[in-house]
Amino acid sequence: MTRKKKDAEEIVAEPMALEEAAIPSAPTTTDKLKASLEELKGYEGVIGYILRNSTSAAIDLKDPSKLIEYAILSSSALEAGEELSETFNLGLVKSILVEGKEVKVLSFTVGENKVSIFMEKNTDPEKILKRLGQF
Amino acid sequence: MDSNEIYTTALNNALDEMRKVCPDIQHAFIYNENSELIAGDAETPQKVTTRVIDAFDDILERAEAIGGVEAITINGDMGTVKLYHFNEHYLVAVYSAKAEVGYVDTIVRVLVPTVLKVLEKLSPTPLKNVAEPKPEPLGLEKPQEGELTEKPVEKLPAESKPEAEPSLASEKLQEPSPLEVPAVQLIVENIGGLLVPSDTVRVDSETLSSWENAFEGKKIEYVEIETFNGKTARYKVKPIKDSKYTGKGVVQIPEKVQLALEIKKGELVKVKPVIE
Repeated sequence: MTRKKKDAEEIVAEPMALEEAAIPSAPTTTDKLKASLEELKGYEGVIGYILRNSTSAAIDLKDPSKLIEYAILSSSALEAGEELSETFNLGLVKSILVEGKEVKVLSFTVGENKVSIFMEKNTDPEKILKRLGQF
Repeated sequence: MDSNEIYTTALNNALDEMRKVCPDIQHAFIYNENSELIAGDAETPQKVTTRVIDAFDDILERAEAIGGVEAITINGDMGTVKLYHFNEHYLVAVYSAKAEVGYVDTIVRVLVPTVLKVLEKLSPTPLKNVAEPKPEPLGLEKPQEGELTEKPVEKLPAESKPEAEPSLASEKLQEPSPLEVPAVQLIVENIGGLLVPSDTVRVDSETLSSWENAFEGKKIEYVEIETFNGKTARYKVKPIKDSKYTGKGVVQIPEKVQLALEIKKGELVKVKPVIE
């Protein structure tokens, strides 16, 4: 009985492996996210984005001189979001919006990807969130 | 009733009214630019307000690049935390997911600045001071009569905004604490992540709590690390986030700091709280 079960498992396991090998170029969530962010970069008022996960980071800012400041701010916002959500039982953090006097930063997490989108003060972050709604 | 009490009472009343009009507001409190709590609801314990102020401070400190902060909204699927910046004051409101965000926003943005403006006109000086908040759990010291310009020593590192402090307050902040808490020996552990602040170490929250208790509830913001080679340095301290290190007797130290102190993962160091 045990032997039979083991055989069945082996049979099931093989085609799955073959299937995975057959579509090696399927875009990952990170790829899709990056493509959407690239598109968003062309929107009026959007001045750049930071996308990072445990293995890579993609940064695209119109003003690269602020790269480090923006990266640290983005990281702090995401960290504070997690901490405060835990403190007040807010559940899953959907987004964090930091409204500055000159720039707005919209940060959120998609799986293991941490995203921050930087936009001019008058840009509507809701439109951006809607555009990224699929994630 | 002195001017500070009037000021605090007025703001507490404003917060109460706000919560009556918007019952979905679960917590609300106001603090100033020196991170001193000014008014708040009784249901929010001091530990929580301190943690919240700390978390927002991390963002506020780094927000120069975007011209300073006007508001921060953390939107969760069960509720929202929002920080509003009104001149020298910050209001934090926590509301449930069913709250009408636009309505809450309008109430807060109309009511609080109006009360602050009226108070500023009536009595401009106390706006810079900390008044005793109404709720008991918040537990700030009540200022003595005649000491209206003196800032309580309750919290805050002196270096956060030294230029804003009146001389009496700075003198008091620099006084060493008479309490002595022995150093604990902890094992060095790395901090993971891409953007790790190089001036902050992480210690088990239980250890931090025991230090805070020993210092009568004062918040521990800095620790001194002493290596067995005799090197010592002071760093900001935060609680360890990664639960796998909880209760393991470790101190998470950024690699840059490890290099500076000539220590590495697995070594023992002495860590003690610093109270200013």
